[in-house]
Amino acid sequence: MGKPVRQFQIISKSPEETARFYSNLFGWTVNSDNPLGYREINTGSVDGIQGGIWPAPPQASNFVQLFTAVDDVQACVKHAEELGAQLIIPPTALPGGVELAVMHDPQGMSFGVMKTS
Amino acid sequence: MWASSILQVMSSFEFRDWLSQELEKRRRVNPRYSLRAFATLLGTDHSTVSQVLRGKRRVPVAVLRRWGKRLGLTAEEVAAYVAIEHVPDASITKRQEELRHWTAEALAVMKDQTHWQIVRISQMPGFRPDCRWIAKQLGVSVDDVNIPLSRLLRLCLLKIERPRQWKVSVGRNPVSEAEFQKCALIRVRQFAAVRGVKLGRISRKSAAERSTIKWVSQ
Repeated sequence: MGKPVRQFQIISKSPEETARFYSNLFGWTVNSDNPLGYREINTGSVDGIQGGIWPAPPQASNFVQLFTAVDDVQACVKHAEELGAQLIIPPTALPGGVELAVMHDPQGMSFGVMKTS
Repeated sequence: MWASSILQVMSSFEFRDWLSQELEKRRRVNPRYSLRAFATLLGTDHSTVSQVLRGKRRVPVAVLRRWGKRLGLTAEEVAAYVAIEHVPDASITKRQEELRHWTAEALAVMKDQTHWQIVRISQMPGFRPDCRWIAKQLGVSVDDVNIPLSRLLRLCLLKIERPRQWKVSVGRNPVSEAEFQKCALIRVRQFAAVRGVKLGRISRKSAAERSTIKWVSQ
Protein backbone atom coordinates (compact mmCIF):
# COMPACT_ATOMS: atom_id res chain seq x y z
CA MET A 1 0.00 0.00 0.00
CA GLY A 2 2.69 2.48 0.94
CA LYS A 3 2.27 6.02 2.17
CA PRO A 4 2.30 8.28 -0.88
CA VAL A 5 2.89 12.00 -0.70
CA ARG A 6 -0.56 13.08 -1.80
CA GLN A 7 -0.42 16.84 -1.94
CA PHE A 8 1.77 19.92 -1.67
CA GLN A 9 0.45 23.00 0.02
CA ILE A 10 1.78 26.51 -0.44
CA ILE A 11 1.24 28.62 2.65
CA SER A 12 1.15 32.15 1.31
CA LYS A 13 0.68 35.59 2.79
CA SER A 14 -0.81 36.64 -0.56
CA PRO A 15 -2.67 33.56 -1.80
CA GLU A 16 -4.28 35.35 -4.73
CA GLU A 17 -0.93 36.60 -6.00
CA THR A 18 0.59 33.16 -5.51
CA ALA A 19 -2.24 31.56 -7.47
CA ARG A 20 -1.85 34.11 -10.25
CA PHE A 21 1.91 33.68 -10.45
CA TYR A 22 1.91 29.88 -10.76
CA SER A 23 -1.08 29.87 -13.06
CA ASN A 24 0.72 32.26 -15.38
CA LEU A 25 4.02 30.41 -15.08
CA PHE A 26 2.91 26.79 -15.37
CA GLY A 27 -0.64 27.02 -16.66
CA TRP A 28 -1.95 25.48 -13.43
CA THR A 29 -5.64 25.98 -12.73
CA VAL A 30 -6.77 27.04 -9.28
CA ASN A 31 -10.28 26.34 -8.10
CA SER A 32 -11.65 27.42 -4.72
CA ASP A 33 -15.23 26.33 -5.27
CA ASN A 34 -15.39 23.91 -2.34
CA PRO A 35 -16.73 24.10 1.23
CA LEU A 36 -13.36 25.12 2.65
CA GLY A 37 -12.86 27.79 0.02
CA TYR A 38 -9.54 26.03 -0.49
CA ARG A 39 -7.54 27.01 -3.56
CA GLU A 40 -7.04 23.59 -5.13
CA ILE A 41 -4.27 23.47 -7.69
CA ASN A 42 -4.62 21.25 -10.73
CA THR A 43 -1.28 20.97 -12.42
CA GLY A 44 -2.94 19.63 -15.57
CA SER A 45 -0.90 16.42 -15.45
CA VAL A 46 -1.43 12.93 -14.05
CA ASP A 47 2.28 12.85 -13.28
CA GLY A 48 3.37 14.18 -9.91
CA ILE A 49 1.02 15.36 -7.19
CA GLN A 50 -1.60 18.05 -7.02
CA GLY A 51 -1.55 20.88 -4.53
CA GLY A 52 -3.29 23.76 -2.89
CA ILE A 53 -2.77 27.22 -1.46
CA TRP A 54 -3.67 28.18 2.09
CA PRO A 55 -3.56 31.73 3.47
CA ALA A 56 -0.91 32.62 6.05
CA PRO A 57 -1.26 35.38 8.64
CA PRO A 58 0.83 38.52 7.96
CA GLN A 59 3.53 37.71 10.52
CA ALA A 60 4.13 34.18 9.19
CA SER A 61 6.60 33.07 6.56
CA ASN A 62 5.71 31.72 3.14
CA PHE A 63 6.54 28.04 2.89
CA VAL A 64 5.53 24.72 1.36
CA GLN A 65 4.18 21.68 3.20
CA LEU A 66 3.89 18.12 1.96
CA PHE A 67 0.91 15.98 2.92
CA THR A 68 1.24 12.23 3.10
CA ALA A 69 -1.81 9.99 2.78
CA VAL A 70 -2.38 7.70 5.76
CA ASP A 71 -5.10 5.22 6.71
CA ASP A 72 -5.53 6.55 10.23
CA VAL A 73 -4.66 10.19 10.96
CA GLN A 74 -4.99 9.83 14.73
CA ALA A 75 -2.75 6.77 14.87
CA CYS A 76 -0.15 8.40 12.63
CA VAL A 77 -0.06 11.49 14.87
CA LYS A 78 0.46 9.29 17.92
CA HIS A 79 3.30 7.46 16.20
CA ALA A 80 4.88 10.71 14.98
CA GLU A 81 4.77 12.18 18.49
CA GLU A 82 6.51 9.07 19.84
CA LEU A 83 9.23 9.73 17.25
CA GLY A 84 9.63 13.33 18.43
CA ALA A 85 7.18 15.27 16.25
CA GLN A 86 5.26 18.22 17.65
CA LEU A 87 1.56 18.48 16.94
CA ILE A 88 0.49 21.82 15.44
CA ILE A 89 -3.03 21.16 14.19
CA PRO A 90 -4.71 18.13 15.80
CA PRO A 91 -6.64 15.69 13.63
CA THR A 92 -9.39 17.76 12.07
CA ALA A 93 -12.30 16.85 9.79
CA LEU A 94 -12.31 19.77 7.40
CA PRO A 95 -15.32 20.93 5.45
CA GLY A 96 -15.13 19.02 2.19
CA GLY A 97 -14.35 15.64 3.67
CA VAL A 98 -10.60 15.69 4.26
CA GLU A 99 -9.24 14.71 7.64
CA LEU A 100 -5.79 16.09 8.34
CA ALA A 101 -3.24 16.93 10.98
CA VAL A 102 -0.19 19.17 10.79
CA MET A 103 3.00 18.59 12.74
CA HIS A 104 6.60 19.73 13.02
CA ASP A 105 9.19 17.00 12.59
CA PRO A 106 12.04 16.85 15.15
CA GLN A 107 14.02 19.29 12.97
CA GLY A 108 11.16 21.80 13.14
CA MET A 109 9.96 21.25 9.58
CA SER A 110 6.24 21.44 9.01
CA PHE A 111 4.44 18.50 7.39
CA GLY A 112 0.94 17.11 7.22
CA VAL A 113 -0.89 13.80 7.09
CA MET A 114 -4.27 13.40 5.46
CA LYS A 115 -7.05 10.99 4.75
CA THR A 116 -9.70 11.60 2.15
CA SER A 117 -13.14 10.18 2.75
CA MET B 1 12.34 28.95 9.78
CA TRP B 2 14.53 29.99 6.87
CA ALA B 3 16.47 32.44 9.04
CA SER B 4 17.32 29.76 11.59
CA SER B 5 18.37 27.35 8.83
CA ILE B 6 20.73 29.94 7.42
CA LEU B 7 22.14 30.53 10.88
CA GLN B 8 22.67 26.82 11.36
CA VAL B 9 24.65 26.73 8.14
CA MET B 10 26.58 29.83 9.11
CA SER B 11 27.37 28.49 12.57
CA SER B 12 29.50 25.78 10.97
CA PHE B 13 31.67 28.59 9.63
CA GLU B 14 32.34 30.18 12.98
CA PHE B 15 35.87 31.32 13.68
CA ARG B 16 36.12 28.67 16.40
CA ASP B 17 35.47 25.89 13.86
CA TRP B 18 38.01 27.30 11.46
CA LEU B 19 40.54 27.57 14.32
CA SER B 20 39.94 23.94 15.18
CA GLN B 21 40.48 22.93 11.55
CA GLU B 22 43.75 24.89 11.47
CA LEU B 23 44.99 23.03 14.54
CA GLU B 24 43.98 19.68 13.00
CA LYS B 25 45.76 20.60 9.78
CA ARG B 26 48.99 21.17 11.69
CA ARG B 27 48.54 17.92 13.61
CA ARG B 28 48.12 15.96 10.40
CA VAL B 29 51.50 17.25 9.23
CA ASN B 30 53.09 16.82 12.66
CA PRO B 31 51.25 14.44 15.04
CA ARG B 32 53.28 15.84 17.94
CA TYR B 33 52.10 19.39 17.32
CA SER B 34 50.67 20.56 20.64
CA LEU B 35 47.94 22.93 21.70
CA ARG B 36 50.68 24.80 23.54
CA ALA B 37 52.61 25.30 20.29
CA PHE B 38 49.44 26.48 18.56
CA ALA B 39 48.76 28.95 21.39
CA THR B 40 52.33 30.25 21.16
CA LEU B 41 51.84 30.82 17.44
CA LEU B 42 48.70 32.83 18.24
CA GLY B 43 50.53 34.78 20.96
CA THR B 44 48.39 33.54 23.83
CA ASP B 45 48.27 30.75 26.43
CA HIS B 46 47.01 27.21 25.76
CA SER B 47 44.21 27.45 28.31
CA THR B 48 42.61 30.37 26.44
CA VAL B 49 42.80 28.51 23.11
CA SER B 50 41.40 25.38 24.72
CA GLN B 51 38.41 27.28 26.11
CA VAL B 52 37.75 28.91 22.73
CA LEU B 53 37.92 25.56 20.93
CA ARG B 54 35.51 23.98 23.39
CA GLY B 55 33.08 26.87 22.95
CA LYS B 56 33.50 27.95 26.56
CA ARG B 57 34.79 31.37 25.61
CA ARG B 58 33.97 33.79 22.81
CA VAL B 59 36.75 35.42 20.82
CA PRO B 60 36.74 39.22 21.16
CA VAL B 61 36.90 40.99 17.80
CA ALA B 62 40.37 42.46 18.42
CA VAL B 63 41.72 39.00 19.29
CA LEU B 64 39.99 37.44 16.28
CA ARG B 65 41.72 39.98 14.03
CA ARG B 66 45.11 39.32 15.62
CA TRP B 67 44.85 35.52 15.51
CA GLY B 68 43.41 35.59 12.00
CA LYS B 69 46.32 37.67 10.78
CA ARG B 70 48.85 35.34 12.43
CA LEU B 71 47.23 32.34 10.75
CA GLY B 72 47.25 34.00 7.34
CA LEU B 73 43.61 35.05 6.90
CA THR B 74 43.00 37.88 4.45
CA ALA B 75 41.34 41.10 5.64
CA GLU B 76 38.12 40.03 3.85
CA GLU B 77 38.10 36.64 5.57
CA VAL B 78 38.67 38.26 8.95
CA ALA B 79 35.81 40.69 8.24
CA ALA B 80 33.50 37.75 7.40
CA TYR B 81 34.34 35.93 10.64
CA VAL B 82 33.85 39.16 12.62
CA ALA B 83 30.41 39.53 11.02
CA ILE B 84 29.47 35.94 11.90
CA GLU B 85 30.54 36.52 15.52
CA HIS B 86 27.89 39.24 15.70
CA VAL B 87 25.11 36.94 14.57
CA PRO B 88 23.16 35.68 17.59
CA ASP B 89 23.46 31.95 18.05
CA ALA B 90 20.72 29.60 16.90
CA SER B 91 19.18 29.11 20.37
CA ILE B 92 18.74 32.87 20.85
CA THR B 93 17.24 33.23 17.39
CA LYS B 94 14.90 30.32 18.02
CA ARG B 95 13.69 31.88 21.25
CA GLN B 96 13.15 35.23 19.54
CA GLU B 97 11.12 33.49 16.84
CA GLU B 98 8.99 31.81 19.51
CA LEU B 99 8.47 35.14 21.27
CA ARG B 100 7.40 36.80 18.03
CA HIS B 101 5.09 33.91 17.15
CA TRP B 102 3.26 33.71 20.47
CA THR B 103 2.98 37.49 20.78
CA ALA B 104 1.40 37.56 17.34
CA GLU B 105 -0.96 34.69 18.25
CA ALA B 106 -2.11 36.49 21.41
CA LEU B 107 -2.61 39.80 19.63
CA ALA B 108 -4.49 38.15 16.80
CA VAL B 109 -7.06 36.46 19.05
CA MET B 110 -7.49 39.72 20.97
CA LYS B 111 -7.76 42.09 18.05
CA ASP B 112 -9.48 40.05 15.35
CA GLN B 113 -13.06 39.51 16.41
CA THR B 114 -13.53 36.92 13.66
CA HIS B 115 -12.11 34.25 15.99
CA TRP B 116 -14.93 34.65 18.45
CA GLN B 117 -17.49 35.10 15.67
CA ILE B 118 -16.50 31.77 14.09
CA VAL B 119 -16.81 30.08 17.47
CA ARG B 120 -20.17 31.74 18.11
CA ILE B 121 -21.67 31.05 14.71
CA SER B 122 -20.51 27.41 14.77
CA GLN B 123 -22.78 26.80 17.76
CA MET B 124 -25.85 28.49 16.31
CA PRO B 125 -28.82 26.58 14.87
CA GLY B 126 -28.62 26.36 11.10
CA PHE B 127 -24.83 26.48 11.09
CA ARG B 128 -23.26 25.19 7.89
CA PRO B 129 -19.71 23.80 8.01
CA ASP B 130 -18.76 25.70 4.90
CA CYS B 131 -16.17 28.46 5.07
CA ARG B 132 -17.79 30.27 2.14
CA TRP B 133 -21.09 30.35 4.06
CA ILE B 134 -19.35 31.50 7.26
CA ALA B 135 -17.56 34.26 5.35
CA LYS B 136 -20.85 35.44 3.90
CA GLN B 137 -22.55 35.46 7.31
CA LEU B 138 -19.69 37.44 8.84
CA GLY B 139 -19.27 39.79 5.89
CA VAL B 140 -15.58 38.96 5.38
CA SER B 141 -13.53 37.12 2.76
CA VAL B 142 -12.99 33.34 2.91
CA ASP B 143 -9.28 33.97 3.63
CA ASP B 144 -10.33 36.16 6.56
CA VAL B 145 -12.23 33.13 7.90
CA ASN B 146 -9.56 30.54 7.16
CA ILE B 147 -6.68 32.36 8.85
CA PRO B 148 -8.51 32.64 12.22
CA LEU B 149 -9.93 29.14 11.73
CA SER B 150 -6.38 27.74 11.47
CA ARG B 151 -5.44 29.60 14.63
CA LEU B 152 -8.48 28.31 16.52
CA LEU B 153 -7.50 24.77 15.53
CA ARG B 154 -3.82 25.31 16.41
CA LEU B 155 -4.76 26.62 19.85
CA CYS B 156 -7.32 23.84 20.32
CA LEU B 157 -10.00 26.44 20.94
CA LEU B 158 -12.12 24.70 18.34
CA LYS B 159 -12.16 21.03 17.52
CA ILE B 160 -13.65 19.51 14.38
CA GLU B 161 -13.65 15.79 14.94
CA ARG B 162 -16.57 15.19 12.56
CA PRO B 163 -17.38 17.35 9.55
CA ARG B 164 -20.64 18.69 10.96
CA GLN B 165 -19.59 18.79 14.58
CA TRP B 166 -17.56 21.88 15.50
CA LYS B 167 -16.82 21.65 19.19
CA VAL B 168 -15.89 24.74 21.18
CA SER B 169 -13.38 23.83 23.83
CA VAL B 170 -13.48 27.03 25.86
CA GLY B 171 -15.87 28.31 28.48
CA ARG B 172 -19.59 27.72 28.58
CA ASN B 173 -21.86 27.45 25.59
CA PRO B 174 -22.78 30.01 24.34
CA VAL B 175 -19.49 31.66 25.16
CA SER B 176 -19.36 35.44 25.51
CA GLU B 177 -16.65 37.41 23.70
CA ALA B 178 -14.98 38.39 26.98
CA GLU B 179 -15.03 34.81 28.19
CA PHE B 180 -13.64 33.57 24.88
CA GLN B 181 -10.78 36.09 24.92
CA LYS B 182 -9.90 35.21 28.49
CA CYS B 183 -9.78 31.49 27.66
CA ALA B 184 -7.89 32.15 24.43
CA LEU B 185 -5.19 34.10 26.25
CA ILE B 186 -4.83 31.37 28.84
CA ARG B 187 -4.50 28.83 26.02
CA VAL B 188 -1.85 30.94 24.23
CA ARG B 189 0.05 31.22 27.50
CA GLN B 190 -0.08 27.44 27.99
CA PHE B 191 1.14 26.71 24.47
CA ALA B 192 3.89 29.33 24.77
CA ALA B 193 5.04 27.80 28.06
CA VAL B 194 5.44 24.41 26.40
CA ARG B 195 7.78 26.10 23.90
CA GLY B 196 9.81 27.76 26.65
CA VAL B 197 8.18 31.18 26.51
CA LYS B 198 6.62 32.44 29.72
CA LEU B 199 3.90 35.03 29.36
CA GLY B 200 3.21 37.25 32.34
CA ARG B 201 -0.34 38.14 33.30
CA ILE B 202 -1.85 40.58 30.85
CA SER B 203 -5.00 42.58 30.81
CA ARG B 204 -7.25 41.90 27.83
CA LYS B 205 -8.07 45.59 27.63
CA SER B 206 -4.47 46.75 27.67
CA ALA B 207 -3.47 44.11 25.11
CA ALA B 208 -6.19 45.22 22.75
CA GLU B 209 -5.42 48.90 23.20
CA ARG B 210 -1.67 48.93 23.34
CA SER B 211 -1.07 46.26 20.69
CA THR B 212 1.94 45.11 22.66
CA ILE B 213 2.18 42.34 25.19
CA LYS B 214 4.91 41.86 27.71
CA TRP B 215 6.49 38.46 27.44
CA VAL B 216 9.08 37.00 29.68
CA SER B 217 11.48 34.55 28.13
CA GLN B 218 12.29 31.60 30.38
